[in-house]
Amino acid sequence: MLRFRHQMQPRKLKVTPGANPQARINKLREIVTGLIRYERVEPLWYFADEARQYAERLLYLAIKNGDKHKETMELADYWLEEKDLVHKLFKVLVPRYKNYKTCYTDLHKLAVEYPGSGIPMGVLELRGNPWPPIIARQRDTKFILSNMLLTAAKQDFYNTKQQLKSDAATKRQQLIEKSDDMHTIRRTDDSSSVDPPAKTENLMMDR
Amino acid sequence: MASTFQNLRHSCLKSMSHNRIHKCIRMFSSQSLTNTDVRKKRIELFDKEKERQVGLVTRVEKIEVKHVGIPEDCTLIMNKYLSTPFNCAMHMQELLMTRSALALVNGQPWDMHRPLETDCEIKFLHFEEEDPRIVNNAFWRTCSFVLGHVLETAFQDKFYIELCSFPSPNVSSGSFVYDADLKLGDWKPSKTELNCLSRIGLRLNFADLKFQRLDVPVSVAQDMFSDNRFKRAQIPAIASKSKSGSTVTMYRMGDHIDISAGPMIANTSQIGRYSITAIHDIESPSFGKLSRVQGLALPTQIMLHSWTYDTILRPRAAKLNPGPLPDLKAPETHIQQQLPSH
Repeated sequence: MLRFRHQMQPRKLKVTPGANPQARINKLREIVTGLIRYERVEPLWYFADEARQYAERLLYLAIKNGDKHKETMELADYWLEEKDLVHKLFKVLVPRYKNYKTCYTDLHKLAVEYPGSGIPMGVLELRGNPWPPIIARQRDTKFILSNMLLTAAKQDFYNTKQQLKSDAATKRQQLIEKSDDMHTIRRTDDSSSVDPPAKTENLMMDR
Repeated sequence: MASTFQNLRHSCLKSMSHNRIHKCIRMFSSQSLTNTDVRKKRIELFDKEKERQVGLVTRVEKIEVKHVGIPEDCTLIMNKYLSTPFNCAMHMQELLMTRSALALVNGQPWDMHRPLETDCEIKFLHFEEEDPRIVNNAFWRTCSFVLGHVLETAFQDKFYIELCSFPSPNVSSGSFVYDADLKLGDWKPSKTELNCLSRIGLRLNFADLKFQRLDVPVSVAQDMFSDNRFKRAQIPAIASKSKSGSTVTMYRMGDHIDISAGPMIANTSQIGRYSITAIHDIESPSFGKLSRVQGLALPTQIMLHSWTYDTILRPRAAKLNPGPLPDLKAPETHIQQQLPSH
């Protein structure tokens, strides 16, 4: 189960010209291993996006099944080329991500360098890593005077709109009640002249 | 020595004669009271009181002021009861001098032109801080204060404007307020007239006047505002609320003086846009019929598109402000405070 938007079909990645499918998998294994070791790697964006799905799947299964599960252990053994990382996966990363409700990795697109190859680069990182953040913290501008004034104006506008709506609704309701009253008056007028004998007749019939 | 004594006597006589003349004016012709004369009298009294208070500092002592923030954390040695946060800023950077609206002294908001009293830690605040609510409130209060200045100076001398009070600042209400007795009858200001009023406040930006704070004894405050029936009535209550129980905090900007607890921003060049949007009639429970003058302003530091200002904020600022009406209720507490001492 992947908790981020991803492509359903696996990509065909050109690792080297004329490489076989095994070369693709080897490249992805390399990236996943690097990600688990350094917690932040910078491959080509397509490779990063592809490797992210395998890394997430590995982390998800490790959290779900734990280190006593044979198949999960085999999977970890396959994807992590350096074997000391199996220990890190189960002892460091599983406790870190145990209570996460989101995905465990982040992927950022880097600016395309010019002049250069023109291929976009990406940054793939594990969440909760010790590196400085990639996206700088944004200043909160909520309490700047102009913004406070505009927020209050917006609220005011909304309130008046709601007020108008409810006023219109009550007016409509009153009109309907008025017309209902008119009908009932007419009905009572009719009933006073016609209905009572009918009712007595009915009662008589019941008895 | 003798000459100084003579000078002192001379000045005393001068002030006495002035007071006497003023009393005569009050007794015989209340019609001839003008805002110009009253303001002149207030300034004289203010200057005299300030001179007296500065005279009390006979020996210059030094205090240590620790500055936190840009350009760097540092320690300054300043003069006790003389140096202000503005003087501290002068030692560091021009940006701090022009931009800072308020200082935080030991975590308490402090006016930029109010002398420091003890060793302290100082931090300068401006309008684009992460959480500038203290500065916003100070700005809104200052704008109400400036509105008082506009009302007192805008009209001809034959109209005697009596300022009443302004409620505590509430930015979310969309407008700042000054309640005053304009004595203009059924005058409804046109759009042009409102613009003319606004322009007086707007022009202060170029005048670059600083806001000075002074704590004044009750008797002096009574003298200063003896010609304003609203302020005269409020002074005992205001004094009883103060820390020492017998002082009133005054602010002065150019030749305008008013009572306010503060704090206020540093100077008028920090008021970027200023417009007076509406004048409403209100009925105060203790002062009777008054006018509620409302306005809208923005600091120089904050940029806003003219469309947003004119079509969203200004019409809203013209609606009657729901702030509390001026009311006189504190003299009772004043009496209650006095009772235990009897």
